[in-house]
Parts: sequence; structure tokens; C-alpha cells
Amino acid sequence: MAAQMAATKVPEVRDITRIERIGAHSHIRGLGLDDALEPRQVSQGMVGQLASRRAAGLILEMIKDGHIAGRAILIAGQPGTGKTAIAMGIAQSLGQDTPFTAMAGSEIFSLEMSKTEALSQAFRKAIGVRIKEETEIIEGEVVEIQIDRPATGTGAKVGKLTLKTTEMETIYDLGSKMIESLSKERVQAGDVITIDKATGKITKLGRSFTRARDYDAMGAQTVFVQCPEGELQKRKEVVHTVSLHEIDVINSRTQGFLALFSGDTGEIKSEVREQINAKVSEWREEGKAEIIPGVLFIDEVHMLDIECFSFLNRALESDLSPVLIMATNRGITRIRGTNYQSPHGIPIDMLDRLLIIATSPYTEKETRQILKIRCEEEDVELSEEAHTVLTRIGLETSLRYAIQLISTAGLVCRKRRGTEVQVEDIKRVYSLFLDESRSSQYMKEYQDSFLFNEAQGTQMETS
Amino acid sequence: MEDESQRILKYLTEVEEAAEDVLSDKQQIVDLDVKRNRNREALNALRDDSQQSEDKVKVCFGNMFIKLPKATTKQMIQKDQEQLDKEISDLRKRLKARVNHLNHLQGRPDLVGYNLSPLTSDEIKAINNLLRR
Repeated sequence: MAAQMAATKVPEVRDITRIERIGAHSHIRGLGLDDALEPRQVSQGMVGQLASRRAAGLILEMIKDGHIAGRAILIAGQPGTGKTAIAMGIAQSLGQDTPFTAMAGSEIFSLEMSKTEALSQAFRKAIGVRIKEETEIIEGEVVEIQIDRPATGTGAKVGKLTLKTTEMETIYDLGSKMIESLSKERVQAGDVITIDKATGKITKLGRSFTRARDYDAMGAQTVFVQCPEGELQKRKEVVHTVSLHEIDVINSRTQGFLALFSGDTGEIKSEVREQINAKVSEWREEGKAEIIPGVLFIDEVHMLDIECFSFLNRALESDLSPVLIMATNRGITRIRGTNYQSPHGIPIDMLDRLLIIATSPYTEKETRQILKIRCEEEDVELSEEAHTVLTRIGLETSLRYAIQLISTAGLVCRKRRGTEVQVEDIKRVYSLFLDESRSSQYMKEYQDSFLFNEAQGTQMETS
Repeated sequence: MEDESQRILKYLTEVEEAAEDVLSDKQQIVDLDVKRNRNREALNALRDDSQQSEDKVKVCFGNMFIKLPKATTKQMIQKDQEQLDKEISDLRKRLKARVNHLNHLQGRPDLVGYNLSPLTSDEIKAINNLLRR
């Protein structure tokens, strides 16, 4: 049955030319600051927004030094002014070791999990714990293995193992356990092996280069390594970084460690969290662990309701708290879940704790440059006039709309077998796809023929 | 100009010295490990069953062999071994500080998590699921 399935499946394999999906902010590689934290006009995919990038750079330095934890930052600005871009820039420049968790405000609304549970999981994902593992190992190249079998055929085997590094050579006496595991790993002369001193576990690293000519016919999977240097008995230290959430998941009994892979972790009991917190702070006191406060980025933060904000207020006070970066494009609007108006849709007591970075609309020159960067990112060649036309479109409608037109115009251009996108291509896609203002214009003109048409003048319900 | 070159020379000497310290410590660890392994081989030889009847063994001191009782020899080597283990771990500790010093002089960032004390094997076992992803 399975063979049959496999046989019928074969023709489905098509040769697909490599299509890379390109995200809206895939061109951003950092904040584009120099060593003195001065922003460069165009760098690492960032254009303009000098003041806000400088501010973000300052915060970034403080995060890297670990000076600020439990602080919150709000990036506020009109739509399409690069809020998410700045957050992405921060994430990119933080490096591998600092945890960065990004989520959208609406992600917390789920049937399986309460809002506060989703938030606390996000918080704990953004806190890293650095721990060290130390093992004593014996690492060397096998010069000779000699195993003596007793003449009677039964009884304990004994043997000798000669190991060497570039500096030294020594003989180990082998017991029957060791001989068993050596033959299980099929260790032979010329292999480079490590022996864990505590557990006696043998790991084959590969074959020594000096023995490469022993056999001509060698499998492709044979790995050749250099003969180890230095002492035979080494101490290996490995530093790991894990997030608090991962430790939580492992320790929440009902789920078991498999939960981490299935992606559905469900709710974690607060007792488990408390135990983990206690253990981690115990480790910290003993010098066994370092806490790395990472960054939690919540986009569209106005989607959170009043309960979430009060939870955030409380969570930021905790000593295990990451740096919270939020972004919103709302002005004075209703706080979700209440009837009160507040700036950015965030309660005043929360706003009071925030450092606010403002972004401003891009100028014509900056828009032009961003479009150029996006063209490179999407592999579309743009003629000079087309670029000018696109910049005008970007200024008059929106930057996002102009960016959308790049790839569509690129497709139209390829259809007519052109190499460079011309003004005609832009015009064609401009007439094919409506921007927001033309679309609403159309609605106004033909509203009578649409279904469920309501009276004019009602504002969009935003919260 | 003169000052500048003097300063650079002084800085380079400092870096070289630090590097030399690191290298010599490394070499010393290797030398001590050679000794440790030789002692281990000797202890194994003393345990050898075939010569159990004799109660004295020949021990080489410098360029002369001295016959000593087995028990005394064993004790002596074991003491030496303990001393060596201690010395090696001390050297390793010092090596860490020296590598950090060298990195510092060269303007490189310190290695992360370098001065953490290790978790016990029980604790490592508990979070092994995480580490071996």
C-alpha cells in the first residue's frame, strides 16, 4: 500500500524554480548607526527617521549592557512610517544571544489560552537564562587497540587502548564494559574519539588525516579530522542559552517535553512558574546562571484591552522582566474594553511608564530611496522615469501601496519580456490595482449598488 | 611622532606578553597531563596480577633505580596524582583570567558565560531535553 502511494506520488514532483518569499521588512539588517551612535542617512536598509533611529540605538546599547530591564518603550507614528522597521532593526542588531520575541497585539486573543497566559508566555520567551555545562573528556587518536580474549572463551576480556594527541601518547587499561562499548562503536586504529570521563560514553569524531591513505575505497560519510592537539584529558565547557518559557514547558508535568515540538503548550500552572523562578534565582545566587533580559515586541499594541494593560503594568514590576517594546499607529482613541479615550489607546498610568519614540512621515527623497532598496530586495530593475513616477505615487497615496506596485509592475514587465520596468508598466498596474483613496472614491460613487450599504459619515470602529 | 611609536611599541609588547602567558600556561597544562598519564600507567602496572608475588618494585628516580615496597610506591604516586590534578585545575582557572586579559588588551569582547560555575550533572540531565534540540 505504502509502495503504491509512493509510486503514484512520484509524478507530482515538479521542478519549481526557486521562489523566495520576501517579507515587507526583509531588507532591514540593523539600525544603520555608526560607532558613535550617529545614524547614517541610508544604511543597513534603513532610510531617514534619524532622530528615532538614534533614540532606538541608545536603548539598544542599554539593552546590550543589561542596564535596563523591566522598562517599556513605545514607538508611535502614522501608518507606514517605519515603526516595525525600527523594531526589526533593533532585533537584528541585538545579535544571537539576546532573546527577541515579536508578537502582534491581536495574537493574545485565543480560545485555548487566556489573555494573561498568552502574555506571560510571551514575557518568559523573552528572558534568556545562560548556563554552563562542564565535562571532563579524554580526546585522542586511537593508535592501537589490543583486546585479549581468554583462552577458555568465557570470562572477562581485558585489553589495552593506546591514544595519542600531537603532544603525547598513553596507554589505557580496558575493562570488559569499556571493550564492549568500543566494539559497539566499531572503534579501530586511526579513529579520533572522545571518552566522557564521568559516564564512559564513547563518541567517534572521525578518522585521522594521517590514516586517510589506509584504504582507497572509503565511504562518502567518512569524516576526516586532524589529530587533536594538547593534553589528552581535557575539560570541555559549553555555554547554553535557554528561555524561561522553554524551562517552563519542560517542567509542566501534564504536557511533558514533547509539548515543545508540537507547538501547543496550553496553559502553564503558576506553581510551575514559581518553582522555575525559585530555581533560576537559586542558580543565579550560586553563580551558575546569568539572566539575559531580552526584548518583547508587541506590534499593534492598541489591540490590547484594559485588562492586558493592567497585567503589563504589574508584570513590568517583576524582577524577571524583559524590555518591552510596543508599536502603535493610533492617535487619541478609545482604550479597548472601556469607554475612555486615551492617547495611543493606552491608559495614562501605562503611558507614564513608557519612553516614547515618535516616527515622522518620510520625505520625497527618503521615499525614493526606500523604493530603490525595495527594488533591489525584490530583484526588479526600475528605469529612472518609472522610479520618479513611483515616488510620486508613494507620496500621494501611501508608501506601502507604492511598494506593492514594485513586484506587480515587475511581473507585467516580465510578461512583455522587458528587462527594465518602464512608466507604462507602472501605469498599467496603477490602473489595475486601486489604492485606498481611489477605492473609497469608487465606493462613494457606486454605494447604492453595494449590499448592506449604510448611511455615510460613520467612522470606522477602531477599538 | 616619536611618542606615538613608543606608545604603539609598548602596547604591542603588552599584547605579546599576555599572549606568551597564555601559551606557556597551555604548554604547562600539557606537560602536567603527560606526567599525570604516566603516573596513571604506573598505577595500572602496580595493579598487574602477574607480579603479585613480589612485594617490592624498582622505581626510577632521575637516573637511578631504587627498590621500594609496593604500598609505599602506590601511596607516593597517588599523592603525586592528587597534586597534579590540583595544579592542572589551578592552571585552568588562571588560564581563563589570562585569556580574558588578552582579549581585553586586543579590544575583543569577553567570552560570554565564561565565569559561570557549571551546573551539576543532575541539573544538566534535567534540562538535557532542551540542550539537545
